[in-house]
Amino acid sequence: MDEFEPKIVGFFCNWCSYTGADLAGTSRIKYPPNVRVIRVMCSGRVDERLILKAFALGADGVLVSGCHPGDCHYQKGNLSARRRVTGLKPFLEAIGIGKDRLRLEWISASEGPKVAETVKSFTQTIKGLGPSVFNRRRNEH
Amino acid sequence: MKGDMYIARSSDKEILEKAEYGGAVTSLLKFALESGRVDAVLAIKARDGNRYDGVPVLITEPEEVIETAGALHCASPNISRFLKEYLDGASDLKVAVTVKPCDAKAIIELTKRIQINLDNLLLIGLNCTGTLSPTKAKTMIKTEFEADPADVVAEDIEDNKLTIRLKDGTEKEKDLTELEERGYGRRENCRRCETNIPIMADIACGKWGTTDKNKTFIEVCSEKGSDFIKEAIEAGKIKVEQPSSDAIETVRKKDEAAIELARQWQEKDFASLTEMSGDERFNYWSTQFSRCIKCYGCRDACPICYCKDCVLEADRGFVPPGEVPPDTMFPMVRITHVMDSCVNCGQCQDVCPMELPLSRLIFMLNRELAGIFKYEPGMDVSELPPLRTVTDQELSLSSVEVAL
Ligand code: SF4
Ligand code: SF4
Ligand code: SF4
Ligand code: FES
Repeated sequence: MDEFEPKIVGFFCNWCSYTGADLAGTSRIKYPPNVRVIRVMCSGRVDERLILKAFALGADGVLVSGCHPGDCHYQKGNLSARRRVTGLKPFLEAIGIGKDRLRLEWISASEGPKVAETVKSFTQTIKGLGPSVFNRRRNEH
Repeated sequence: MKGDMYIARSSDKEILEKAEYGGAVTSLLKFALESGRVDAVLAIKARDGNRYDGVPVLITEPEEVIETAGALHCASPNISRFLKEYLDGASDLKVAVTVKPCDAKAIIELTKRIQINLDNLLLIGLNCTGTLSPTKAKTMIKTEFEADPADVVAEDIEDNKLTIRLKDGTEKEKDLTELEERGYGRRENCRRCETNIPIMADIACGKWGTTDKNKTFIEVCSEKGSDFIKEAIEAGKIKVEQPSSDAIETVRKKDEAAIELARQWQEKDFASLTEMSGDERFNYWSTQFSRCIKCYGCRDACPICYCKDCVLEADRGFVPPGEVPPDTMFPMVRITHVMDSCVNCGQCQDVCPMELPLSRLIFMLNRELAGIFKYEPGMDVSELPPLRTVTDQELSLSSVEVAL
């Protein structure tokens, strides 16, 4: 059997992490191709609905990445993201999706290597967890 | 002053005859109307004398207040939503409302969401150790108590015993835990509720700390409550004495015992959901969610679901229309929208025609979030819902986890 290649949805802030991912690319830093990046104008745009929808549509993991606290272009959007991600974890755990399938990271525009590291380590984590329950269910039917 | 305590008794003969525990609550409600402090009283009354059909009534005539005298344990009307939907959140009406702790909490959460005008309310808190679902209660009275539900004239919960009094004067008593283990007794949310004394109301009235069932113990919980009680005493509507230190100690002890019992129920209820493995949990909830008939009852009953333009409506384009069971997003969004502020009122679970254990899950999540965000819903209007707020202090917190 082929090794399980997780599908990860990344919600990356336009002003920092998305640019950071560009930098990783132009600097030719290698990282796993498992993340499908969706550019958002601020990590504060990411609410429980986007995250849950990603899982419901088959994401094995969701990575939310924004500017470091204090650096958000909209002052506190990233702080909202932090509260939401923290708050959503108990729910993911309770209904059996698992809290470790959701991760928040702070990555600035200059942190290309951190993009690579984060994607690498998160992909590893999700590989360890196996396919998301939603996907396993889908494959059974 | 806030914190004052009284042992009170009505001075009104008629009320003393009909009401329980010295009729202090009934007298206070009547006085609130008579004195012009409020335009109306919102309380619960047995419809057509049926104790199993407790309904909210809005009273504007002082003489009618007496119809609401006496506690109804087999009723749990949705007072907060009633206020919001039918009285426009008390926007231009001053109302004295009798509230159980969960009603008071729900009103406070709706106040935070600008759906109720708390300034216009006088919250007359009623101590509560639980209510029973009417249908189940009737079955229980027949099978466990071997009595005719129609003969019951009063119920009482005390020291983990449920007592019913019949019209011929006889009393029957059963151990509450035993009843509950057999699926009877209090509503599930009530069993696990730790708030017995509604200190978030303006005054809290109860029987603990009184003897012979003919007086009410009142704790003053706000300045508004304090003014009101003082006026009622001055007007001679209630007679009061100071509670002895023994009485105060009794209240504390009974409260603690009830809290301990609630914690045990929480552990048991939550364990039923957490003991399963991750996969089992997912299967369990997928099955539960697939039973949902999308009636929107849970949303319409929940005091936290206040949105005029709910995202779960078909015209919002988020949940596909015309599908039953609805897409998993439907329950997931409902739950995650309210979990930070759930007050464990149990209304969602009561109304769900498919009997999904909604409040059990949502309140369990709430307890976890309350710990993380150091937030207790329903207690203080100035505390904002933790998943909808951030503070300036968090700007200097660099971690990816919230640690408050
Ligand atoms: S989720 Fe259910 S128990 Fe919680 S506040 Fe809403 S209706 Fe009450
Ligand atoms: S489900 Fe969400 S959007 Fe709908 S009423 Fe409740 S809180 Fe509002
Ligand atoms: S009350 Fe029950 S059946 Fe109705 S929408 Fe809510 S979960 Fe579904
Ligand atoms: S602008 Fe980057 S997180 Fe808000």
